[in-house]
Amino acid sequence: MSICISYDSTFDGFLSAVFEIYSQHLDVESFVPDRDAGAADDLFQQRFRVEANEDSAMRLRRAIVNYAGEDVLNLLETAFLSEEAGIEMKILAFLRKLFTGDDPNYGKNPASPEMLPLYKLAGSVRHEAGGMLGMVRFSKAPGDFYVAKIEPKYDILLLMESHFSNRFADGNWVIYDAKRRYALLHDKTGKCRVVDVPDDAALVNAINTDGYTRLWQDYYESIAIKERENPKLLRRCLPVRYWKNLPERQAARF
Amino acid sequence: MDVREKLNILSAAAKYDVSCSSSGSRRSAPPSGLGDACPAGICHTWSSDGRCVSLLKILLSNACKYDCAYCVNRRSNDVPRATFTPKEVIDLTLEFYRRNYIEGLFLSSAVVGSPDATMERLVRVAKELRRVHRFGGYIHLKSIPGASEALLHEAGLYADRTSVNIEVPSERSLTYLAPEKNYGSVYGPMNYFAERKIEYGGSRGRYTPNFLPAGQSTQMIVGASGESDFQILTLSAGFYKQQRLKRVYFSGYVPVNADKRLPALTTKPPLVREHRLYQADWLMRFYKFDYDEILDAKHPNLDLNLDPKAGWALRHPEFFPVDLQTADYEMILRVPGIGVKSAQLIVSSRRYCKIRLETLKKMGVVLKRAKYFIYHPDIPAGVRQFYPEMIRPLLIAPAKSQQLDLFSPPETLALPAPAPAMPAAGRLPLALPAQPRLLAAG
Repeated sequence: MSICISYDSTFDGFLSAVFEIYSQHLDVESFVPDRDAGAADDLFQQRFRVEANEDSAMRLRRAIVNYAGEDVLNLLETAFLSEEAGIEMKILAFLRKLFTGDDPNYGKNPASPEMLPLYKLAGSVRHEAGGMLGMVRFSKAPGDFYVAKIEPKYDILLLMESHFSNRFADGNWVIYDAKRRYALLHDKTGKCRVVDVPDDAALVNAINTDGYTRLWQDYYESIAIKERENPKLLRRCLPVRYWKNLPERQAARF
Repeated sequence: MDVREKLNILSAAAKYDVSCSSSGSRRSAPPSGLGDACPAGICHTWSSDGRCVSLLKILLSNACKYDCAYCVNRRSNDVPRATFTPKEVIDLTLEFYRRNYIEGLFLSSAVVGSPDATMERLVRVAKELRRVHRFGGYIHLKSIPGASEALLHEAGLYADRTSVNIEVPSERSLTYLAPEKNYGSVYGPMNYFAERKIEYGGSRGRYTPNFLPAGQSTQMIVGASGESDFQILTLSAGFYKQQRLKRVYFSGYVPVNADKRLPALTTKPPLVREHRLYQADWLMRFYKFDYDEILDAKHPNLDLNLDPKAGWALRHPEFFPVDLQTADYEMILRVPGIGVKSAQLIVSSRRYCKIRLETLKKMGVVLKRAKYFIYHPDIPAGVRQFYPEMIRPLLIAPAKSQQLDLFSPPETLALPAPAPAMPAAGRLPLALPAQPRLLAAG
């Protein structure tokens, strides 16, 4: 009977699971992160719970850096943020081959069959994070408080933290990931922290349309050149899934 | 007139300015200030014509005293006129910025009064944003041809980028279409900035002020006058090399005015030509091509059916097929279907393993095009035979059948008697490389 590991959906939790796989010689078939815990169990698999352990995660991080370097660890962590189904097994396959040590250059080769998909995936995660920097739309709530809601495909909220803390260093603002129900909260003193949002009614209600939002919608309408309209190009650059949280596209649709 | 009305008029008046990039500047937020600049540039949204919007692009005023044939704001046009006060522009910029709608401000203006008076108003807005409001975001200022050097210098201290538009790709057409302008007045500010930038960049100390960190750009209208693509590329290559411009923009002419000097109002903007020109521009900036490799006196115009890189490859069969396992990075970059990212991936991985065809596909190489130009043991030998006249039709996607238009307007030329297109003396390509074995058909 093969084993299915359940863990707490964090990268450290995943690394702890890999650590257990090595130390207990487990034959693993799949991983179930806690965010998918509601899905139906596979009858023919045995569940095995691994709690996140800072110590073992740390040891594994060090091992990856020793074998392949800082960049690869960073890349794995970024690819992990994609939350793609089966990403854990892909990373595990890469780590297994890396740790056999057969090929000393294995970690440096970005085009190995195990690495290339991870490399591409990390690329799309970084791409979305970079694009989202421009697509966060704050709206002003009472008390000089700026609220934004995003629904990115990948879990990229933390990748955007430094950008917004540098840019709006003296502001009170919150960016809320409505898909994963947690938020980045920044206060005037420059402290930034992550908070879980079990009930988002207050946050979502704070998002409003004020005079400047309307000015922005007007601006967006008048900056387009009618003779050059190109809906296909627009959809490619600005996928429809983001329109929901962009005031300028909402006005355009109705 | 309220701000909303002004914004509608003055943003619509600014929309034909193509430049909207916010890249090239690394500016950290000033102490207790607002905003920074990100060197990669950030797009905030895309308008319905598919162009990126990253800056609040507006004119300070559209009440122009000039009468340029191609411009929507010319004196003789009957359009609503408006003028922002500096405070209105600053408020809009800061409020939009706080909401993360924009990356900064792009401020241009029609010439009102003298060039100096106009430039002074633009600089005042930038200065107040930086000094009073401690704004650290991106500022793009238009420099007004004919403005004094003192004002230009001040603009360079507050702005990230400036631009002055060359408007039309030859001086003859410019003086024909815009009688009040000439190349000298455009090159004036451009050269001034280029020289000052070298001065400031030479020995950067801790207290050297940041002078125009994101450099300069310019723009020219394509399709309003009779210049060839070769002339356009020659001109822009000169800008990149001599004035060290960061970008040269092309804007396919959208007919806004009925004027006998210009194409008829029913003419469609030459979007494909503009696209091909940008592709050629990319080849010069990222693919290490020279302008006289992309086009030459014998081939003065870009092929509208084929991208310029494939066009070059078909004219130079002597360089192909390329062996990806051993070829130089520069050569791999020249293979149609391989971009910068894939070329880097190929180079960084080939020392560890043989590159397989399916790996290439996963890297993002467009094998459909690349397979004719690379040597790979898995590609059948028949495909490897390089005959340009056979490959050309395979590279061109079958065009959709189009309904013919009985009443299509005749093509108009801007110049009454176009002189034979001759590139400027001294810029002629010295000699073509090896004669290609087989010339591309058509």
